[in-house]
Amino acid sequence: MTMDATEIQARARRRLAIDRRVRKDPRYQRVIGRYVSAGLLQANHAVAEHAEPITVDDVLYVGRLEPRVLELLPAAMIKTPRMFAIPKTLPADLKAVVNSLRQSKEPADFRGVKGAKLLSWLSRIGRKNKLPSRLKSFRLQADEQRLLERISQKLELSETDVVRKALRELAAKELLTD
Amino acid sequence: MIRGIAERLDEWVTQTNLEAQAEGMRRLPPCHIRVLGQTALLEVGSGLSLLATSDVDVYADYEYPIEVEFKRLLRLEGKELDPVGHKIWMPRETEYVRLFQGRFIRLSVADPDAVLISKSARAPDKNRSLLTEYLASGASQRFLSLATQYKVDLERFL
Repeated sequence: MTMDATEIQARARRRLAIDRRVRKDPRYQRVIGRYVSAGLLQANHAVAEHAEPITVDDVLYVGRLEPRVLELLPAAMIKTPRMFAIPKTLPADLKAVVNSLRQSKEPADFRGVKGAKLLSWLSRIGRKNKLPSRLKSFRLQADEQRLLERISQKLELSETDVVRKALRELAAKELLTD
Repeated sequence: MIRGIAERLDEWVTQTNLEAQAEGMRRLPPCHIRVLGQTALLEVGSGLSLLATSDVDVYADYEYPIEVEFKRLLRLEGKELDPVGHKIWMPRETEYVRLFQGRFIRLSVADPDAVLISKSARAPDKNRSLLTEYLASGASQRFLSLATQYKVDLERFL
């Protein structure tokens, strides 16, 4: 190491002064206040918590100083979307990550955050252990549709839940007994 | 927070072992939980401005039933045990400060210098502003020695 402790401290203080300006920025205050209020982050210093939606642009800005907000952003957009004022058009890298997470797939790394870390938050924020569902379309014959409706009424389940139940029972019978 | 959880965990293990003894079953052995990462810094009051996610990283030698109860107690406090927390690299020189010693549970936290060396060596981008703040406050000689030993590039925090 070529620097001595005094020089390191002096240079760090100059960098810290820049960081502190960012921390005083209203965008930083809004984003951190919302994350803490939502229980996504914990702070050991005073934070003005609030429940107003925050913009994705502000989160991306704050993420340059505090990458933890980026780590949580894609999963939070899916699991707690009311936290955000989500624009119609997202940055391409964020959109790709969100699309992967919606399919419960590990996304590519996002602005320095590992894909595996981004995925790990999906089941741990919002409704715990609840992963996003995906749309799948099937064509049924008329008699099969009537059968689905009758079972749905008989079991007092939605048609989707009937399919889920049947799938699990079939899996238990055909797969797990191997 | 973490000390209270350790106390409740110790009470739970004590009760479970009393029941096991009465039924002639095997008792759960004592264990050591060592807290790492941001939670360790929060617990020891490092004086730095900290933001932490709900993740709690630990090294622990507990048996599965104790881990399950530990996770449950953490969740009650809005915390989650990081499933890969035990893979965190910590320097060999890490000292663990004892926070709680019960009948079956011992809980310690990693010392701040070691936690900050771990962060600066393995996750420098994620912890850049934290390390800058620490260096600006006057890093300890021990931290600077460890940084040299583990070839940490301090330039990236300046």
